[in-house]
Amino acid sequence: MKTSIEWLQDYADINVDAKTLADRLTMTGSKVETIEQKGKDIKNVVVGKILEIKKHPDADKLIVTKVDIGDKVVQIVTGADNVKEEDIIPIAKDGSELPGNVKIKTGMLRGVESCGMMCSVGELGLKVEDYPGQIEHGIMILPKEYKKFLGKDIVEVLNLREDILDFEITSNRPDCFSIEGLGREAAIAIGTEFKNPRKNLSKEVKEVKEIEGLKVDIEAKDLCYRYMARVLKDVKVETSPEWMRRRLNACGVRSINNIVDITNYVMLEIGEPMHAFDINCVKGKHIIVRRAKNNETITTLDDEERKLDNSMLVIADEEEPVAIAGVMGGANSGISDETKTVVFEAAVFNRGSIRLTAKKVGLRTEASTRYEKGLSPEIALRAINRAVELAEQIGAGKAVEEVIDVYPEKEEKRVIKFEPEKVNKALGMDIPRETMVEILEKLDIKVNGDNLEIPYFRTDIERTADIVEEVIRIYGYDKLNSTLINAESTVGSKTKLQKLEDKIKELLVEKGFSEMYAFSFISQEDYDKCKLDSSEAIRIKNPLGEDYSLMRTNMMPTVLQSMATNYNKKNKDVSLFEIGKTYVDEKQNIDKGELPVESKQIAFATYGKNADFYIVKGIVENILEASNIARYQIERANTKNLHPGRSAEIFVGKDSIAKFGEIHPQVLENYGINEKVYYAVIELEKFAKYGKDNKKYVQIPKYPAVERDIAIVVDEDIAVGQIENVISKKAKNILEKAELFDVYRSEKLGNNKKSVAYELIFRAQDRTLTDDEISNTMEAIIKELQATLGAELRA
Amino acid sequence: MKDQILKIKENANNEIKNAKDLKELNDVRVKYLGKKGELTAVLRGMGALSPEERPIIGEFVNEARDEIEKLIDQKEQELKEQELLQKLEKEKIDITMPSKKIPVGSVHPITGVIDNIKEIFLGLGYEIADGPDIEKTYYVFDQLNTPIDHPARDLQDTFYINDNIVLRSQTSSVQIRVMENQKPPIKIICPGAVYRSDSVDPTHSPVFHQIEGLVVDKNITMSDLKGTLETFAKRCLGENTKIRFRPHHFPYTEPSAEVDVSCFVCNGKGCRVCKNEGWIELLGCGMVHPKVLENCGIDSNIYSGFAFGFGAERIAMAKYGIDDMRLLFENDVRFLKQF
Repeated sequence: MKTSIEWLQDYADINVDAKTLADRLTMTGSKVETIEQKGKDIKNVVVGKILEIKKHPDADKLIVTKVDIGDKVVQIVTGADNVKEEDIIPIAKDGSELPGNVKIKTGMLRGVESCGMMCSVGELGLKVEDYPGQIEHGIMILPKEYKKFLGKDIVEVLNLREDILDFEITSNRPDCFSIEGLGREAAIAIGTEFKNPRKNLSKEVKEVKEIEGLKVDIEAKDLCYRYMARVLKDVKVETSPEWMRRRLNACGVRSINNIVDITNYVMLEIGEPMHAFDINCVKGKHIIVRRAKNNETITTLDDEERKLDNSMLVIADEEEPVAIAGVMGGANSGISDETKTVVFEAAVFNRGSIRLTAKKVGLRTEASTRYEKGLSPEIALRAINRAVELAEQIGAGKAVEEVIDVYPEKEEKRVIKFEPEKVNKALGMDIPRETMVEILEKLDIKVNGDNLEIPYFRTDIERTADIVEEVIRIYGYDKLNSTLINAESTVGSKTKLQKLEDKIKELLVEKGFSEMYAFSFISQEDYDKCKLDSSEAIRIKNPLGEDYSLMRTNMMPTVLQSMATNYNKKNKDVSLFEIGKTYVDEKQNIDKGELPVESKQIAFATYGKNADFYIVKGIVENILEASNIARYQIERANTKNLHPGRSAEIFVGKDSIAKFGEIHPQVLENYGINEKVYYAVIELEKFAKYGKDNKKYVQIPKYPAVERDIAIVVDEDIAVGQIENVISKKAKNILEKAELFDVYRSEKLGNNKKSVAYELIFRAQDRTLTDDEISNTMEAIIKELQATLGAELRA
Repeated sequence: MKDQILKIKENANNEIKNAKDLKELNDVRVKYLGKKGELTAVLRGMGALSPEERPIIGEFVNEARDEIEKLIDQKEQELKEQELLQKLEKEKIDITMPSKKIPVGSVHPITGVIDNIKEIFLGLGYEIADGPDIEKTYYVFDQLNTPIDHPARDLQDTFYINDNIVLRSQTSSVQIRVMENQKPPIKIICPGAVYRSDSVDPTHSPVFHQIEGLVVDKNITMSDLKGTLETFAKRCLGENTKIRFRPHHFPYTEPSAEVDVSCFVCNGKGCRVCKNEGWIELLGCGMVHPKVLENCGIDSNIYSGFAFGFGAERIAMAKYGIDDMRLLFENDVRFLKQF
C-alpha cells in the first residue's frame, strides 16, 4: 500500500524525516518496503522569464534567448519552438539537476554559449495529463501570474515535494490497508498523538427502506454481511479538485472523475472499498445481492466480458448483474458525464468468497485485496458517511439525508480477558500493567477493568496471544530479553538412517565424488531418455511447465542430466552423487488421498580416466561394508537403461537394494554423451534396515594359515563368481580367503577359454591344519570344478 | 714396554682419525685389536715380564684397549652419520614436481550449511525430524491455522497434485506430524526441500531448502526464542553477529517476527550483499499459535512453544558470495569443487 506522508499528516504530526518514520513503522510492524521522495532529484531549477529571442547565427532550428532568472539575466540556446518573449518558464540553471540523474552545465551549442536549459514537463519528471494545457514535446509554459515567483525554486512553486512510503501490509491487518490505520500506527511509532479527525463518522443517519425509489435486498446472507446505500442528487460529474487528485496519484490510483475519485479516496482513507452506480442504470431501481447464475456473464468496467458461476456473489438489478461483488463494477452501471443521481454503496462481503471469485475471474483489484483480508461490517457506516461528506465538500452533488442499511446480523462487540501476567509469561518479561494499558489504549483497545474491548477494525485480535503481540510490538521487539530455555534437558542425536547417510556421503566425497542438487520434478522427455516408465509417476496439477510436471520415480534422469551438463562444458573426469527422494504412486491411490511411497536414495555416476565397472562395484562394496551388510548376493541386473552385460544388482534375500553398471549406450546417446558413464543407485532406507549394528569381536587367529595356489582353465562364459561358489562350498569352514590373482587368455588355451588363478588361504580357528586335510580339500575342490564347470587343472 | 704400548696407542689414534670410511676403520680395528693385532701381540709378549710387572702392564694394555675401542666406536658413529647424510643427499628429489594426490570430491554448499546448522542444534539438544515432500493439505495448511480461504493457499504459490495433496510449501508440516505423535517436551529441527511456484531466476527457485525448528514445553517464552536464535546466529555466522527482531505476521505463530542478522560480509557497515542496510533478513519465527497447539491435542494453557524457519540457499549464497541461485542446481563441477 502506497501512501504520501502529506496525507498521513491529517492523522498525526509527522515531525521526523521519511527515513526515520519508515524505520520506526517497520520496527512496530508496518513494514516499509520503499521510500519514494518526489522532487528530491530536482535541484537549482527556477522560474524564469524570456526577455528576448533571436535566431541562432549558425543553426536554423535553434534560437538564442535572454532569460531573467531573478538575480540575473542569462543566455540560453534552445531548439524548442513553443516559446515566445514574455513567457514564464522553468529554467535549469548552470549546475542544476533533473530527474534521471541529469546534470545541466553551461556549454556551447553550435558555437554559442548556453547557460542552462528550459524544461519540459517530462524533464521535470511530471506527467502532461496532470498539467492541463501543457504539451509533451515542448517547454512547460507557466501561468503569467508566476512572474511574481521569478528566480524561485520550481519545486516550491509547483509544490512538487512529496514523500511516498510503500508498505507491505500483512494479511492480518486489513485496518492498515488505509491511511487512517497507518496514521494511527505512525502516531504510535513516533510517539505523537493520533489526531483521529474522522471520529464523527460513526454518527447514525435516519434509516429508511427506500430512497428515491431505490430498494436493496440481500439474498445471499452468508456471503454479504451488510449493504449500505446513500444517494447523491444534482450530481455534476467533473474533474476532482487538485488536492484530491494529488493524494490519489500519490497512492498510485488514477483520477477518473469526482464521483469515482470519491469512492477510491474513501477506500484509501478508511479502508472500505466502495462503489458508485448511476441510479438510472439500476433496472427496477432494485439492488439485489445474490449468487450469480451459472453461465451468467457481465462486462466489467475494463470492458472485458466475464463468465460467472453460482459460487460468485454479484450485485444485480432486477434483470442482470451490475457488479461482481467486491471485485469490480459492471460497465453497464458506471458513472458517465450524464449521470445526475448517484448511489454510493458500502458493503461488506465474505472474505473467502471474494478471494475465490477474484481468483476465478482472474481479477485482483484494490477492492478484492482489501475484502479478502476480512473487514468488519461496522466499517460500512463510516465509509458511506465519509463519501457523502466529501461529495458535499467538493460540490459534487447534494446528499439525500436518509440511508438504506441492510444489516441482517449486527456484529457483536468483541471483548476478551485482560491477562497481564499471561502476557508477561509468554514474553518472559516483566512489563508493568500500566505500561500495557497505555499501549493498548493508544491502539484504541479499551481497557475496562479485567476486560479488553476490541475496536471493530481489529478483526485479527481474538485472544491473549494477539494481545501479547500488540504489547511487545509497541513496547519494542528490541527490548525482548535473551534467555535460554529453562526446561527439562533433552538429548539431541541422529537416527541410524541419518548417521548412515552422513557416512556414505563422506565415503563418496573421499572417493572423489561431488555432491549435486536437482529438482525432483522432471519431464516426460526425461523419462523417455532414460527408458523409464512414467505410469507410476505423480503429475503436478499446476506445474511451471511440461519440463517440471512429473515427480521422479528414479534418480537416473537428474544425475545423467548433470553429467551431460558437465560433458557439454568439456569438464573432464567427472564424478557426481545425489542424495534425494523418489516418489512412486504404487497403488495409484493418490487421488483417493493416499500419499505415495517416498524413498531416500543415493545415486552416483562417473566418467573419465578412472571410471570403470569395477571402480563402481568397489564403491558399492565399500558402502555395503560401511553399512555393515555382510550377507548379500550380486546378480546380473535386468534394467533397460544399463548395459545388459555390464550391470549388476545387489540383493539381500529377495530384496533388491542397489543397482549399478555402465549406462546403456542408447541412453548415453539420448543425452549426447560420447563417453562411457558408470552409475550406481542404492536405496538408503534398505541399507539402514539390513545393516547390522551388533558388531562383535572375533578372535584374532592363533593357528597358522596354509596357502595353496590353483589355476584352472574354463569356458569364457563361466563367471568367476561361479568358481568362487564351488571353492567356498567345498572348502567349508576352513577357507579364509580365495583371492583371484590372474585371468589369462591365449591361443594356446583355445578360443573361448580362459585361465583363472586363485590364491587360497586355509585356516582353522581351533587347530593347526594338517597336510592331509588340505590335500583332501584341494582334491574335492578340483573334482567339483571339473564336474560342474568343466574346468581343467592347469599344470 | 710401556713406551711400546703408548706408541701403539698413538699410532692407532692417528689411524682412527684418518679412517675415511667404515672399511678403513674396520681395518684399524683388526690391526690393533684383532687376534693378530698389535695390542694382542703385546699381551702375548707379557710372558717375558716379571710377575710384579705383569699386572701393571696388563692393566696398562687393557686401558689402552678400552681407549682405542672407545675411539673406534666414536669414529664409527661419525662415519655412519656421514654416510647417511651422503645417502640422503643423493636421494634428494624435486619437491616442486606435481603431486600424486587422490582426487577428493565435495559436499554441496546447501548440505554444508544444513550440516552446520544440524550440528549446532544437536548440541542444544534438538532431534532431527523428517517428513514427506508430497503432503496432505491437512498438514501443510489446515493444522497450521491456514484455512481454505487463506491467501497462502493460492494456486500461484503452491504446487498441487490434487485438491488435498500438495508439494509441501514449508517444512512446518513435519512439525504438525511430530506434535500429533509426541508429547512435550519437543525439540526438533526439520531440514528439507520445499516447493513454491516460482520461476527459475537468479534469486528464485521452485525448489529450495528450509530448516525449521520447533520447541514445545512448559514455560517456553519469546525471550527464549530470542536467546536461542542469538546463540544460533553467533555459532553459525560468527561471534560478533547481532540479531534484530521485527514484527511480522504468520498464521501459525503469534506473536510473529522476522529476524535480521548483522551483515556477516561487512559486519554491519553496509555493502552490496546487505544492500547497504547493514542487516540481512534471515528467518521468520514466533510463538506457536495456541490454535496450532490445540489442533495437535496439546493444551495451550499448560504448554507453549516457539518455531522458526529459514532458507539454506539464502545463507549459502550470502556466506559464499554466490550471486545466482541457478548455480546451486546446475551442478557444474567447477562450481561444486569449490566447497
